[in-house]
Amino acid sequence: MNILSVLEQTALSVWLRESPTMWGFPFVLFLHTLGLGIVAGLGVALNLWALGWAERYPAAPLQRAFPVAFAGFALALVSGVLLLVAYPTKALTDPVFYLKLVLIGAALAQLDWLRRRLFAAPLADRPARPDRSIRLLAGVALALWAGAVLTGRLLAYTYNYLTAADLMQ
Amino acid sequence: MIDAWIEWMAATRLSAMMLDSAWTWPLAETVHFAGLVLLAGTVGLFDLRILGLGRGIPPVAIHRLVPFGVLGFVLLVATGALFVFGTPDQYFHNAAFRWKLALLGLMGANAAFFYAMPYRALTRLGADGDAPRSAKVCAALSLTLLAAVMFCGRMLTFFRPIDGGS
Repeated sequence: MNILSVLEQTALSVWLRESPTMWGFPFVLFLHTLGLGIVAGLGVALNLWALGWAERYPAAPLQRAFPVAFAGFALALVSGVLLLVAYPTKALTDPVFYLKLVLIGAALAQLDWLRRRLFAAPLADRPARPDRSIRLLAGVALALWAGAVLTGRLLAYTYNYLTAADLMQ
Repeated sequence: MIDAWIEWMAATRLSAMMLDSAWTWPLAETVHFAGLVLLAGTVGLFDLRILGLGRGIPPVAIHRLVPFGVLGFVLLVATGALFVFGTPDQYFHNAAFRWKLALLGLMGANAAFFYAMPYRALTRLGADGDAPRSAKVCAALSLTLLAAVMFCGRMLTFFRPIDGGS
Protein backbone atom coordinates (compact mmCIF):
# COMPACT_ATOMS: atom_id res chain seq x y z
CA MET A 1 0.00 0.00 0.00
CA ASN A 2 2.84 2.29 0.99
CA ILE A 3 4.87 1.37 -2.05
CA LEU A 4 1.95 2.39 -4.27
CA SER A 5 1.86 5.92 -2.89
CA VAL A 6 5.67 6.19 -3.14
CA LEU A 7 5.44 5.13 -6.79
CA GLU A 8 2.64 7.60 -7.43
CA GLN A 9 4.79 10.43 -6.06
CA THR A 10 7.74 9.76 -8.39
CA ALA A 11 8.36 12.49 -10.94
CA LEU A 12 7.59 10.13 -13.84
CA SER A 13 4.26 9.05 -12.36
CA VAL A 14 3.21 12.63 -11.61
CA TRP A 15 4.24 13.80 -15.06
CA LEU A 16 2.34 10.98 -16.78
CA ARG A 17 -0.84 11.78 -14.82
CA GLU A 18 -0.69 15.54 -14.84
CA SER A 19 1.22 16.65 -17.95
CA PRO A 20 -1.24 18.80 -19.89
CA THR A 21 0.15 17.89 -23.34
CA MET A 22 -1.08 15.15 -25.65
CA TRP A 23 2.49 13.77 -25.66
CA GLY A 24 2.14 12.50 -22.08
CA PHE A 25 -0.55 10.05 -21.05
CA PRO A 26 -2.56 10.18 -24.34
CA PHE A 27 0.53 9.38 -26.42
CA VAL A 28 1.47 6.46 -24.15
CA LEU A 29 -2.10 5.17 -24.58
CA PHE A 30 -1.64 5.41 -28.37
CA LEU A 31 1.65 3.44 -28.20
CA HIS A 32 -0.13 0.80 -26.11
CA THR A 33 -2.91 0.55 -28.72
CA LEU A 34 -0.38 0.38 -31.57
CA GLY A 35 1.55 -2.39 -29.80
CA LEU A 36 -1.70 -4.24 -29.15
CA GLY A 37 -2.73 -3.86 -32.80
CA ILE A 38 0.59 -5.35 -33.93
CA VAL A 39 0.93 -8.26 -31.51
CA ALA A 40 -2.74 -9.27 -31.19
CA GLY A 41 -3.33 -8.46 -34.88
CA LEU A 42 -0.50 -10.66 -36.15
CA GLY A 43 -1.25 -13.24 -33.45
CA VAL A 44 -4.80 -13.55 -34.79
CA ALA A 45 -3.75 -13.38 -38.47
CA LEU A 46 -1.05 -16.07 -38.12
CA ASN A 47 -3.45 -18.36 -36.25
CA LEU A 48 -6.10 -17.82 -38.93
CA TRP A 49 -3.40 -18.73 -41.45
CA ALA A 50 -2.63 -21.92 -39.53
CA LEU A 51 -6.35 -22.76 -39.44
CA GLY A 52 -7.07 -22.18 -43.10
CA TRP A 53 -4.19 -21.99 -45.49
CA ALA A 54 -1.01 -23.31 -43.93
CA GLU A 55 -1.38 -26.72 -45.57
CA ARG A 56 -1.35 -25.32 -49.10
CA TYR A 57 1.78 -23.18 -48.79
CA PRO A 58 5.20 -23.53 -47.19
CA ALA A 59 4.96 -22.10 -43.68
CA ALA A 60 8.59 -21.03 -43.36
CA PRO A 61 8.34 -17.68 -45.24
CA LEU A 62 5.95 -16.30 -42.61
CA GLN A 63 8.52 -16.92 -39.86
CA ARG A 64 9.63 -13.34 -40.36
CA ALA A 65 6.26 -12.03 -39.19
CA PHE A 66 6.89 -13.38 -35.68
CA PRO A 67 9.68 -10.94 -34.75
CA VAL A 68 7.34 -8.13 -35.87
CA ALA A 69 4.61 -9.51 -33.61
CA PHE A 70 7.01 -9.78 -30.65
CA ALA A 71 8.28 -6.22 -31.32
CA GLY A 72 4.63 -5.12 -31.08
CA PHE A 73 4.45 -6.90 -27.73
CA ALA A 74 7.61 -5.10 -26.55
CA LEU A 75 5.96 -1.78 -27.44
CA ALA A 76 2.76 -2.75 -25.60
CA LEU A 77 4.81 -3.93 -22.61
CA VAL A 78 6.92 -0.76 -22.28
CA SER A 79 3.92 1.53 -22.73
CA GLY A 80 1.91 -0.71 -20.39
CA VAL A 81 4.56 -0.35 -17.68
CA LEU A 82 4.33 3.45 -18.10
CA LEU A 83 0.53 3.29 -17.73
CA LEU A 84 1.08 1.20 -14.61
CA VAL A 85 3.57 3.75 -13.24
CA ALA A 86 0.97 6.48 -13.83
CA TYR A 87 -1.85 4.64 -12.01
CA PRO A 88 -0.34 1.70 -10.06
CA THR A 89 -3.16 1.47 -7.49
CA LYS A 90 -5.84 1.47 -10.19
CA ALA A 91 -4.44 -1.62 -11.95
CA LEU A 92 -2.88 -3.56 -9.07
CA THR A 93 -6.03 -3.53 -6.91
CA ASP A 94 -8.23 -4.71 -9.80
CA PRO A 95 -8.48 -8.53 -10.23
CA VAL A 96 -9.33 -7.99 -13.92
CA PHE A 97 -5.77 -6.68 -14.43
CA TYR A 98 -4.26 -10.00 -13.29
CA LEU A 99 -6.69 -11.92 -15.47
CA LYS A 100 -5.55 -9.79 -18.42
CA LEU A 101 -1.88 -10.61 -17.70
CA VAL A 102 -2.65 -14.35 -17.55
CA LEU A 103 -4.57 -14.24 -20.85
CA ILE A 104 -1.74 -12.35 -22.58
CA GLY A 105 0.90 -14.69 -21.14
CA ALA A 106 -1.01 -17.71 -22.44
CA ALA A 107 -1.59 -16.10 -25.85
CA LEU A 108 2.12 -15.27 -26.21
CA ALA A 109 3.16 -18.79 -25.15
CA GLN A 110 0.80 -20.23 -27.79
CA LEU A 111 2.19 -17.85 -30.44
CA ASP A 112 5.77 -18.94 -29.80
CA TRP A 113 4.64 -22.59 -29.69
CA LEU A 114 2.93 -22.11 -33.08
CA ARG A 115 6.14 -20.58 -34.47
CA ARG A 116 8.29 -23.48 -33.31
CA ARG A 117 5.75 -26.18 -34.19
CA LEU A 118 4.71 -25.00 -37.64
CA PHE A 119 6.52 -21.99 -39.06
CA ALA A 120 10.10 -22.53 -37.85
CA ALA A 121 10.12 -26.32 -37.53
CA PRO A 122 12.81 -28.18 -39.47
CA LEU A 123 11.30 -29.59 -42.65
CA ALA A 124 11.53 -33.19 -41.37
CA ASP A 125 9.54 -32.37 -38.20
CA ARG A 126 7.00 -30.08 -39.82
CA PRO A 127 3.54 -31.60 -40.22
CA ALA A 128 2.42 -31.74 -43.87
CA ARG A 129 -0.80 -30.14 -42.76
CA PRO A 130 -1.63 -28.43 -39.48
CA ASP A 131 -2.58 -31.31 -37.19
CA ARG A 132 -5.34 -31.47 -34.64
CA SER A 133 -3.33 -29.91 -31.81
CA ILE A 134 -2.30 -26.95 -33.99
CA ARG A 135 -5.87 -26.31 -35.10
CA LEU A 136 -7.28 -26.72 -31.60
CA LEU A 137 -4.76 -24.35 -30.02
CA ALA A 138 -5.19 -21.85 -32.87
CA GLY A 139 -8.88 -21.67 -31.97
CA VAL A 140 -8.01 -21.30 -28.27
CA ALA A 141 -5.56 -18.50 -29.16
CA LEU A 142 -8.29 -16.51 -30.94
CA ALA A 143 -10.36 -16.71 -27.74
CA LEU A 144 -7.33 -15.73 -25.61
CA TRP A 145 -6.70 -12.59 -27.68
CA ALA A 146 -10.40 -11.69 -27.55
CA GLY A 147 -10.27 -12.13 -23.77
CA ALA A 148 -7.15 -9.96 -23.53
CA VAL A 149 -8.87 -7.18 -25.49
CA LEU A 150 -12.03 -7.50 -23.35
CA THR A 151 -10.23 -7.43 -19.99
CA GLY A 152 -7.91 -4.63 -21.15
CA ARG A 153 -10.86 -2.46 -22.09
CA LEU A 154 -12.74 -3.27 -18.90
CA LEU A 155 -9.84 -1.96 -16.77
CA ALA A 156 -11.17 1.54 -17.41
CA TYR A 157 -14.47 0.53 -15.76
CA THR A 158 -13.82 -2.17 -13.17
CA TYR A 159 -11.24 -0.48 -10.94
CA ASN A 160 -12.12 0.14 -7.28
CA TYR A 161 -9.41 2.63 -6.31
CA LEU A 162 -7.84 5.18 -8.64
CA THR A 163 -4.90 6.21 -6.43
CA ALA A 164 -3.32 5.16 -3.14
CA ALA A 165 -5.18 8.00 -1.43
CA ASP A 166 -8.50 6.37 -2.35
CA LEU A 167 -7.23 3.17 -0.79
CA MET A 168 -6.59 4.84 2.60
CA GLN A 169 -10.15 6.13 2.91
CA MET B 1 -26.41 22.69 -39.50
CA ILE B 2 -24.06 20.40 -37.56
CA ASP B 3 -25.85 21.29 -34.34
CA ALA B 4 -29.16 20.22 -35.89
CA TRP B 5 -27.61 16.81 -36.62
CA ILE B 6 -26.24 16.59 -33.11
CA GLU B 7 -29.65 17.38 -31.66
CA TRP B 8 -31.34 14.78 -33.85
CA MET B 9 -28.79 12.06 -33.01
CA ALA B 10 -28.92 12.78 -29.29
CA ALA B 11 -32.71 12.37 -29.37
CA THR B 12 -32.68 8.91 -31.00
CA ARG B 13 -33.46 5.71 -29.10
CA LEU B 14 -30.05 4.42 -30.15
CA SER B 15 -28.42 7.30 -28.30
CA ALA B 16 -30.47 6.57 -25.17
CA MET B 17 -29.56 2.89 -25.42
CA MET B 18 -25.83 3.73 -25.43
CA LEU B 19 -26.15 5.89 -22.32
CA ASP B 20 -28.82 4.11 -20.26
CA SER B 21 -26.91 0.94 -19.49
CA ALA B 22 -23.50 0.98 -17.86
CA TRP B 23 -22.33 -1.93 -20.03
CA THR B 24 -23.26 -1.00 -23.59
CA TRP B 25 -20.41 1.50 -23.90
CA PRO B 26 -17.59 -0.77 -22.62
CA LEU B 27 -18.88 -3.69 -24.68
CA ALA B 28 -19.06 -1.56 -27.82
CA GLU B 29 -15.49 -0.41 -27.08
CA THR B 30 -14.37 -4.02 -26.75
CA VAL B 31 -15.92 -4.90 -30.12
CA HIS B 32 -14.30 -1.75 -31.57
CA PHE B 33 -10.86 -2.93 -30.39
CA ALA B 34 -11.52 -6.48 -31.61
CA GLY B 35 -12.32 -4.98 -35.03
CA LEU B 36 -9.05 -3.01 -34.87
CA VAL B 37 -7.12 -6.23 -34.14
CA LEU B 38 -8.75 -8.08 -37.06
CA LEU B 39 -8.20 -5.20 -39.49
CA ALA B 40 -4.64 -4.32 -38.48
CA GLY B 41 -3.52 -7.96 -38.30
CA THR B 42 -4.83 -9.27 -41.61
CA VAL B 43 -4.43 -6.16 -43.76
CA GLY B 44 -1.11 -5.45 -42.02
CA LEU B 45 0.22 -8.93 -42.85
CA PHE B 46 -0.85 -8.49 -46.51
CA ASP B 47 0.86 -5.08 -46.61
CA LEU B 48 4.03 -6.61 -45.14
CA ARG B 49 4.05 -9.33 -47.84
CA ILE B 50 3.77 -6.65 -50.54
CA LEU B 51 6.71 -4.87 -48.92
CA GLY B 52 8.75 -8.08 -49.17
CA LEU B 53 8.30 -9.87 -45.82
CA GLY B 54 7.25 -13.49 -46.27
CA ARG B 55 8.43 -13.85 -49.87
CA GLY B 56 7.88 -17.49 -50.74
CA ILE B 57 4.12 -17.21 -50.40
CA PRO B 58 2.21 -15.52 -53.26
CA PRO B 59 0.53 -12.23 -52.22
CA VAL B 60 -2.87 -13.52 -53.42
CA ALA B 61 -2.62 -16.32 -50.86
CA ILE B 62 -2.09 -13.85 -48.00
CA HIS B 63 -4.92 -11.79 -49.46
CA ARG B 64 -7.27 -14.64 -48.49
CA LEU B 65 -7.06 -13.24 -44.94
CA VAL B 66 -8.30 -9.79 -45.99
CA PRO B 67 -12.05 -10.66 -45.68
CA PHE B 68 -11.41 -10.98 -41.93
CA GLY B 69 -10.05 -7.43 -42.08
CA VAL B 70 -13.22 -6.33 -43.89
CA LEU B 71 -15.25 -7.93 -41.09
CA GLY B 72 -13.08 -6.01 -38.60
CA PHE B 73 -13.73 -2.78 -40.49
CA VAL B 74 -17.50 -3.39 -40.44
CA LEU B 75 -17.30 -3.91 -36.65
CA LEU B 76 -15.25 -0.70 -36.31
CA VAL B 77 -17.70 1.41 -38.32
CA ALA B 78 -20.78 -0.07 -36.62
CA THR B 79 -19.48 0.46 -33.08
CA GLY B 80 -17.95 3.81 -34.05
CA ALA B 81 -21.41 4.93 -35.17
CA LEU B 82 -22.79 3.81 -31.79
CA PHE B 83 -20.33 6.09 -29.96
CA VAL B 84 -21.19 9.05 -32.20
CA PHE B 85 -24.92 8.48 -31.66
CA GLY B 86 -24.31 8.11 -27.93
CA THR B 87 -22.64 11.48 -27.40
CA PRO B 88 -22.70 13.33 -30.76
CA ASP B 89 -21.70 16.64 -29.13
CA GLN B 90 -18.39 15.02 -28.11
CA TYR B 91 -17.45 14.16 -31.69
CA PHE B 92 -18.57 16.71 -34.25
CA HIS B 93 -16.79 19.58 -32.54
CA ASN B 94 -13.72 17.45 -31.79
CA ALA B 95 -10.57 18.18 -33.85
CA ALA B 96 -9.25 14.62 -33.38
CA PHE B 97 -12.53 13.21 -34.74
CA ARG B 98 -12.36 15.43 -37.84
CA TRP B 99 -8.77 14.35 -38.47
CA LYS B 100 -9.80 10.75 -37.98
CA LEU B 101 -12.58 11.06 -40.59
CA ALA B 102 -10.21 12.79 -43.03
CA LEU B 103 -7.59 10.05 -42.59
CA LEU B 104 -10.27 7.37 -43.05
CA GLY B 105 -11.17 9.10 -46.33
CA LEU B 106 -7.52 8.90 -47.39
CA MET B 107 -7.46 5.25 -46.36
CA GLY B 108 -10.48 4.60 -48.58
CA ALA B 109 -8.91 6.46 -51.51
CA ASN B 110 -5.68 4.48 -51.05
CA ALA B 111 -7.61 1.18 -51.03
CA ALA B 112 -9.66 2.22 -54.08
CA PHE B 113 -6.49 3.11 -56.01
CA PHE B 114 -4.82 -0.11 -54.91
CA TYR B 115 -7.64 -2.34 -56.17
CA ALA B 116 -8.09 -0.31 -59.37
CA MET B 117 -4.40 -0.28 -60.33
CA PRO B 118 -1.62 -2.46 -58.87
CA TYR B 119 -3.82 -5.26 -57.47
CA ARG B 120 -4.28 -7.00 -60.83
CA ALA B 121 -0.54 -7.26 -61.43
CA LEU B 122 -0.18 -8.48 -57.85
CA THR B 123 -2.60 -11.38 -58.38
CA ARG B 124 -0.28 -12.71 -61.10
CA LEU B 125 2.75 -12.53 -58.85
CA GLY B 126 4.34 -15.89 -57.97
CA ALA B 127 5.46 -17.14 -54.58
CA ASP B 128 8.80 -15.33 -54.71
CA GLY B 129 7.62 -12.36 -56.77
CA ASP B 130 8.59 -8.79 -55.96
CA ALA B 131 5.57 -6.44 -55.91
CA PRO B 132 5.55 -3.43 -58.25
CA ARG B 133 6.61 -0.13 -56.73
CA SER B 134 3.07 1.33 -56.89
CA ALA B 135 1.79 -1.57 -54.76
CA LYS B 136 4.59 -1.01 -52.24
CA VAL B 137 3.70 2.68 -51.96
CA CYS B 138 0.05 1.72 -51.29
CA ALA B 139 1.09 -0.85 -48.69
CA ALA B 140 3.37 1.60 -46.86
CA LEU B 141 0.59 4.22 -46.95
CA SER B 142 -1.91 1.67 -45.67
CA LEU B 143 0.27 0.84 -42.63
CA THR B 144 0.98 4.52 -41.93
CA LEU B 145 -2.70 5.48 -42.18
CA LEU B 146 -3.73 2.60 -39.89
CA ALA B 147 -1.36 3.92 -37.21
CA ALA B 148 -2.47 7.53 -37.80
CA VAL B 149 -6.17 6.62 -37.48
CA MET B 150 -5.41 4.80 -34.20
CA PHE B 151 -3.53 7.89 -33.03
CA CYS B 152 -6.54 10.14 -33.72
CA GLY B 153 -8.83 7.62 -32.04
CA ARG B 154 -6.73 7.74 -28.89
CA MET B 155 -6.64 11.54 -28.99
CA LEU B 156 -10.47 11.81 -29.03
CA THR B 157 -10.77 12.03 -25.24
CA PHE B 158 -7.89 14.51 -25.04
CA PHE B 159 -9.59 16.85 -27.52
CA ARG B 160 -13.13 16.41 -26.29
CA PRO B 161 -14.88 19.74 -26.28
CA ILE B 162 -17.13 19.25 -23.24
CA ASP B 163 -16.12 17.57 -20.01
CA GLY B 164 -18.22 14.86 -18.50
CA GLY B 165 -19.06 12.70 -21.52
CA SER B 166 -17.96 9.12 -21.77
